[in-house]
Amino acid sequence: MGLVSWLIAIPFLTTLAILAVPAGRWRWIRWIAVTGCGIHLVLTVVVTWLFWQQASADVAAMKTALLTKLYLVEQVEWFRSLGIEYFVGIDGISMVMVILTSVIIFTGVLASWYVETRTKEFFVLLLTLVTGVFGVFVSFDLFLFFMFYELAVLPMYLLIGIWGTGPKEYSAMKLTLMLLFGSAFILVGFLALYHASGMHSFNLLKLAQANFSGEFQRWVFPMIFVGFGVLGALYPLHTWSPDGHSSAPTAVSMLHAGVLMKLGGYGALRIAVYLLPEGAKDWGLFFMALTTVNILYGSFGAIMQRDLKYFTAYSSVSHCGFVLFGVAALNLMALKGAVLQMFSHGIMTGLFFGLIGMVYGRTHTRNIDEMGGIARRMPWLAVMFYIAGLASLGLPGLSGFIAESHVFLGGFFGNSWTNITVMRVLTILATMSIVVTAVYVLRGLAKVFFGPIRNSHFEHLDDAKLPERISTGVLAVVLVVAGVAPWLLINMIEGALMPIFNRLNGSIAMTGF
Amino acid sequence: MIFLPELIVVACAVGVLAADLWIDERRRVILAPMAALGLAAAMVALIVAVPQNGSTLGGRFAVDPVGWWFKVFFLLSGLITILLSLDLLDGRVGVRMRGIGFRGEYYTVLLATILGMMVLVSARDLITLYVSLELATLPLFVLAAWRRDNAQSGEAGMKYVIFGAMASACMLYGLGLLYGLTGSTALSAIDHQLRDIPAFWLAAAMLTAGIGFKLTIVPFHFWAADVYQGAPAPVTAYLSVASKGAGLAFAFQILYRMLDGWVAQAAAGVAVFAAVTMTLGNTVAIVQNNIKRFMAFSAISQAGYLIMGFVGGLAEGVPAMLFYLLVYAVTNLAVFACIVWFSNQTGKEQIEDYRGLSRTNPLIALAMMLGLFSLAGIPPLSGFVGKFFLFSIASKAGYHWLVAVAAVNSTISLYYYLRIVRQMYIEPADEGATRLPITPTLAVTLVVLSAALVLMGIIPSLYETISAQTLTWLPR
Repeated sequence: MGLVSWLIAIPFLTTLAILAVPAGRWRWIRWIAVTGCGIHLVLTVVVTWLFWQQASADVAAMKTALLTKLYLVEQVEWFRSLGIEYFVGIDGISMVMVILTSVIIFTGVLASWYVETRTKEFFVLLLTLVTGVFGVFVSFDLFLFFMFYELAVLPMYLLIGIWGTGPKEYSAMKLTLMLLFGSAFILVGFLALYHASGMHSFNLLKLAQANFSGEFQRWVFPMIFVGFGVLGALYPLHTWSPDGHSSAPTAVSMLHAGVLMKLGGYGALRIAVYLLPEGAKDWGLFFMALTTVNILYGSFGAIMQRDLKYFTAYSSVSHCGFVLFGVAALNLMALKGAVLQMFSHGIMTGLFFGLIGMVYGRTHTRNIDEMGGIARRMPWLAVMFYIAGLASLGLPGLSGFIAESHVFLGGFFGNSWTNITVMRVLTILATMSIVVTAVYVLRGLAKVFFGPIRNSHFEHLDDAKLPERISTGVLAVVLVVAGVAPWLLINMIEGALMPIFNRLNGSIAMTGF
Repeated sequence: MIFLPELIVVACAVGVLAADLWIDERRRVILAPMAALGLAAAMVALIVAVPQNGSTLGGRFAVDPVGWWFKVFFLLSGLITILLSLDLLDGRVGVRMRGIGFRGEYYTVLLATILGMMVLVSARDLITLYVSLELATLPLFVLAAWRRDNAQSGEAGMKYVIFGAMASACMLYGLGLLYGLTGSTALSAIDHQLRDIPAFWLAAAMLTAGIGFKLTIVPFHFWAADVYQGAPAPVTAYLSVASKGAGLAFAFQILYRMLDGWVAQAAAGVAVFAAVTMTLGNTVAIVQNNIKRFMAFSAISQAGYLIMGFVGGLAEGVPAMLFYLLVYAVTNLAVFACIVWFSNQTGKEQIEDYRGLSRTNPLIALAMMLGLFSLAGIPPLSGFVGKFFLFSIASKAGYHWLVAVAAVNSTISLYYYLRIVRQMYIEPADEGATRLPITPTLAVTLVVLSAALVLMGIIPSLYETISAQTLTWLPR
């Protein structure tokens, strides 16, 4: 078993280990969970290092390549008669996503340190979900990809239904059904790709060599893109997201907004755009328009929210809009921005939801109007909240700025097959959301943390404990590192994006943006 | 000896009945093991002594790979049904069910239906085909009405008899017409002589109704819900699995052996039947409260998925259907093992009675959840893999809309399967609810079935074997 398989196996083995512990020993269980995730983090660092050893030499060669090049590949025949393989590997995009997931789950487990009801089941489901997520990011066989994709979606139902708050059963059911409704269309698209290619294979790289007719691409592309778009909160199919996120327990919101929603953007880029470039060109502008609505609607929606979790959930809809906006803009700069935004938003929103959980655990309210002045009692949490907030409004020096500026520049540059004026207008509209974001973030945070303490009960609250400090600290450090040294990520992403970009432009190698 | 397994089943049925005459009530507990061992012996005989191809009795009784796999399926589901039945019939239950008993007759009748199904797949002429189908169906009427003094059970038996007789009559009429059109009772001879005339289409319509009845295809499904609800739980399990498999086997006989040239032309019709069946089954299941009735509609929708394999009459459809049938058997029987257990222990059959089961019996709740998720087609369970292969057939035949309908239906089905999961996992247990006991037989059966439904999706060898043996089965 190679290293990439271990990336999937470690969360799974941790799940098995937890299953073997009697439910009464919940202290052991959380230690097992955090150890497993810690080991995974170390493994991710090792894999990143090995990946970069091999990949850095190839970046120049990828400038003209039409096929993605994978590293640390493992390929075993599975259902031979149908051409289904166990085919996993790593390229720049999946590497970035694996790093993101590994960080989020590690901090997510720490943020769930004080889950004391049905601890065992909680961690079992959480780690099953993460197993699916890692599987998606490293699978390059569509069957395997789809299998992990659905595995990642389903545990959410129980996680929200059992440990959630508010109208949890409604939210859980809505989320599960909408996401699986989306995956129904993905399935139609995958099977159509398989049969239309005539290659008798679900291997993504083989399928990339098939000649899909323009007409075929025109109807399959929107199927797959919308299917993934549901998970990426594409307007108007985003409605599961605010309900789901606000009902979910802390770690689940972190994972879901931080990582799971990225599966949508990832799939749209990796499969829809990569395999069906002609379809992408035809539909690009349409989806840009939809995602512009996403961005504006999400940010205006956030202004109106009084519940901290709804507030963050709407801001997530807006920020995930940037991801799909970048994907739909279809030039190298915008695609780079989309991947960067996936990473940046993942970390940022993970931090947000983690913090909200910690604050809620103390104040027992998430209503912005009922809070006030609590920065005095919990300075650590307040500082962390501000770091996340500033990243969210795109302050230079934090990761959000890099990602969003890439997306906007890319959108503004346009591409050769779309009406450039329309693209620029859409981009300008989308850019305006930054102002709106600044309004709601600064106003909201000021209300929560500053001013007089409104509730005498808040006088006796304490600041973050050690597991919580580690959890939030790690995320904040990543935000700063990605903002100050973005080339660490950009170098990885660029080599992997070149083939996708080249396919969009025929075989002409392009440089520059 | 091509029909050694069938002979063993006959011998076993007669043996059980004879033994029942000679021993007293206390010793009748040995009847279930006798029947189970008989089926196991038949299974061994099937694997060891029966070749993959061969015929006897002047070509009227034959075995081929598809028939062989169907027989594996029938023996397996029969065997598991016996294991599910014995606690109830022997009275090892928490709440006694009145009017249940007559173990000798029960197992004899059960074995007779299995025999009918096994002969059904080996029949090569119309007469044998029809007789064996009746042998497989008639005893089921009796089984459905097994709870003598229960009105619902009686109603189930009565409805089943009336609808079943109607379906048989249609089928017989259709088969008669075909004989009249071609002058032959040999299935393979009929294929070449049929012409596109109105009488043929009448015959085809009659046969569709007959097949539709056995497979619970909408609009021939009306009997299913009441019969499933009224019959004792193990019988419901058997009806939903083995009887459905017999319907599929019959459809194979008619469509592929007799009307082979016409299947591809009927693709649009099959697709519509599949779409309507799964949609109706799924939407009606949402509002059910009785778990057996609920499973009846779930089984109807599963039949809709199953016949997707016929769309276009593609060679790949054969292994896909056989594989899904085996997956479905294992999965559905796993769920029914939980239902039988719960009804044995509590006498309750409403969905809300399952609330808090994960707190009192976590392992059984887990098994039931796995089974339900597999029925809904959630990876990595075998139900997902099986459905994926079936959807792939429809996609290959160019019916992308059917794939979309089926995939959306899977989402709908998840909604109602999650209703049970919600009762078990999210709703709290009743005050003072304690762990319910489980008998060793049922526990072992449940563990084996749960393991199988997980492994069949991950280990490819079962599908690969079926595919290697049956992919070239269609003569085209």
